[in-house]
Amino acid sequence: MNFIGVIAAIATFFSIWFGHVAVRKVEFISPTIWIPTTIFAAFGLIVEFLSLSTVHHPLSTVFGILGLILLIDAFEFTRQQHRIKKGYAPANPNNPRHANILAEHPSATTLDLLKRNPIGHTGSTKKVTQQISNF
Amino acid sequence: MNYFGLLIGIITLFIIGLGFPLVIYGERIFGFLWWPYMMSIGILLIVVSLFIQIDWLSVLIGVLGATFVWGSTELKEQAIRAEIGWYPFNLNKINPPFENLIKKWKAPHL
Repeated sequence: MNFIGVIAAIATFFSIWFGHVAVRKVEFISPTIWIPTTIFAAFGLIVEFLSLSTVHHPLSTVFGILGLILLIDAFEFTRQQHRIKKGYAPANPNNPRHANILAEHPSATTLDLLKRNPIGHTGSTKKVTQQISNF
Repeated sequence: MNYFGLLIGIITLFIIGLGFPLVIYGERIFGFLWWPYMMSIGILLIVVSLFIQIDWLSVLIGVLGATFVWGSTELKEQAIRAEIGWYPFNLNKINPPFENLIKKWKAPHL
C-alpha cells in the first residue's frame, strides 16, 4: 500500500475547500483587495519554499499542492470582486468597497442567487428572487 | 532542493483546471443528480492510488480522485447557474440510475 496518493488527495481537497471558502469570506469583508492578495501570495511562496526544502516526499507533496493553490487563491480575490460586480456573488453593503460597486454596477446585488435548490427549468430573475427569499 | 512537491503542485493545478469543464459539461449533459456517481468515481480513484507503487503516479491518481470528489459538490450550484442563465441550460438531460432515491438525498455543497 502506498499512501502518498491518498495524502495528495486529502491535501488537494482541503486546500481547494479552504481557498473556496476563505476567498469568498475575506473578499466580502476586506476593504481592500491587495492586502489579502499579498498575504495569500506570501503564504503560498513560503509553503512552496518549504516544499522545496524537505526531502520527505509526502510532506513535499502536501506543501507543493497547498502552496500553489494559495498562490492561485491570491489571484482569486480579484476574480471574486469581478463576480460581485456581475452579481454572481452577493455584495456586502457594509463594506465600503462593495458599497461603491453597488453604486457603480447595476448588475451587482446583495442577494445570493445561488442560495436555493435547482428547480429543473430556467426562471425569470423575479421568480428566482422569490425562490431565494423563500429558501 | 526537492522539486517533487513543486512539480506535483503544478500538475495538480492542471488537473483542478480539468475539473471546471468536467463540472460545466457534466451538469449540462447529465444534470446535478449524478453527483453520487461522480463522488464514487473520485473515491474509487483515491482507493486505486493506494495500490500504485510509483509515487508520482499514485499522487496524480489521488489528485484526480480529489478533483472528482470536489466536482461532485459543485454540480448543484452549477445547475442553479445554468437555470439563472449564466451558462447554457439543457432541458433534455440524461437521468441517472436510481434518480428517485438520489432526489431524496441532500446534494452536497461546500
